[in-house]
Amino acid sequence: MLTRRGEAALAWLGAWGRAFRFAAGALAAAFTPALYNSATRTVVQKQIYFTAWQILATFTAFAAVLSLVIIQISVSTARDFGLSDYALEVVIRVLVLELLPLLTALFVALRSGAAINTEVALMNINNEIRALEAAGVDPMRFEFMPRVIGGTISVLALTALASLMALVLGYVTVYGLQGSSLPDFGRVMGKVFTIPILLGLWVKCLAFGVAVTVIPIVAGLDAPQKLFFAPIAVLRGMVRLFFVLMLIEVAALALTYI
Amino acid sequence: MADDAERRAFLAGHPAAALVSAEMPLRANLSVLENIAIVPQYRENLDYDRAAHRAWKLLERAGATGCALKRDPDLSFEERFIAKLLRAMVTSPPIILIERPALLLPDTDYPAWLERTLDALAADFNQCWILDYRWNEPLYAPR
Repeated sequence: MLTRRGEAALAWLGAWGRAFRFAAGALAAAFTPALYNSATRTVVQKQIYFTAWQILATFTAFAAVLSLVIIQISVSTARDFGLSDYALEVVIRVLVLELLPLLTALFVALRSGAAINTEVALMNINNEIRALEAAGVDPMRFEFMPRVIGGTISVLALTALASLMALVLGYVTVYGLQGSSLPDFGRVMGKVFTIPILLGLWVKCLAFGVAVTVIPIVAGLDAPQKLFFAPIAVLRGMVRLFFVLMLIEVAALALTYI
Repeated sequence: MADDAERRAFLAGHPAAALVSAEMPLRANLSVLENIAIVPQYRENLDYDRAAHRAWKLLERAGATGCALKRDPDLSFEERFIAKLLRAMVTSPPIILIERPALLLPDTDYPAWLERTLDALAADFNQCWILDYRWNEPLYAPR
C-alpha cells in the first residue's frame, strides 16, 4: 500500500516536473527568434484565429452581459449603503483585476485547452510526433511552441478587450453618457492601477495564458500510446489546468491584498 | 529480413534513411501538400510558397495532384503511400527506405504499382530501398 502511494506520489511529482521543464523549454524557444520560420508563424496565426478570433463575438457578448450585471449590482448596493463614491473603484477591482482575467482564462481553457489536450494526445498516440521528428521537423518548434505563443497572446488580448469594455460600461453606468466626468474617472483609475498592481495583473494574465496551453500539451504528451488513454489524458489535463488557474488566482489575491 | 527483430535492427542501423512506413503517419490536420511542404520549410528554411511549389511539382510527377488538398483520413491507401513517399523524398535524402509496402498498400498489386511509381519519380531520389521479409522476396524484380 505504501509502495503504491509512493509510486503515485512520484508519478504526480514527475508529471509536474515535466510540465515545468516543458514550460521552460517552450518559453526559451519563444524568445529565440532564430527558431521561427514560415511554418511556425502560420501555426501561431492559426492558434490566435481559433483561440481568440473565432470566439470573439460570443466572448464579447458574454463579457459585456456579465460586466453589466456586476456593475449594476455593485453600483446599486453601494448606493444603498451610502458608498456611491466607492462604487466605481469596487467595480474596477472586482471585474478588471480579478473576475475578467480568471473567466477569460477559464473560457479559453474550456474551449482551446481541451482541444489542444485532445489533439496532442491523439498525435502522441498515433505516433505523429515521432513521424515529424523522423522527417526532420522539430515538434517543439512546429506544434508546441507556436501553440503556447498563440494561446498566451489570445488570453492577453481577450482579457484586455473584456477589461476595456468593463471600464467603458462602468463609466457609462456610474456617470452616464457624458464626458465631463472623465477627470474623476481618471483619478479612480490612477488610484486602482498603480504600477505594482498593473505589473501583477500583467504577470497573472501571462501565467494564465501559459498555463492554458502548456498544461494541456504536457498532459497530451504524457498519454501512453494506446487509444483508450486519450480521454483519460484530457481529463487529467483539464483537472490539472483548473487547479493551476485557481492557484494562480489565489496567489495573485494573496500577493495583492494580504 | 528473417524476422521482426532483424527488421528493427536494420532500421536502427540506418537512422539517416528517410522512412516510408506504416508506423510513420502523416500529420492528420495537414493536407498532403502541407505534409510534404513542411519538411523543406523546416530543414531548408524555405517560405511556404516555395516549399509548396516544390511539393506540388513532386505531386505532378507522381500523378497525384488530385489528393494535394486532402487530409489523411480522406486518402486512399495509394494516395497516402504517395504522400509519405514524397514527404520522404522532398529534401533528396541519400536513401529512402520503404518499409513493408504490403502494410501500406493492402488492396493494390503493389510490386508492379511500386515499380511504376518509382520509375515516374526516378529523377527525384538518390536510392530507394524496399525493406521486406525474406518470404516476400520473389515479389520484387531486381532494380
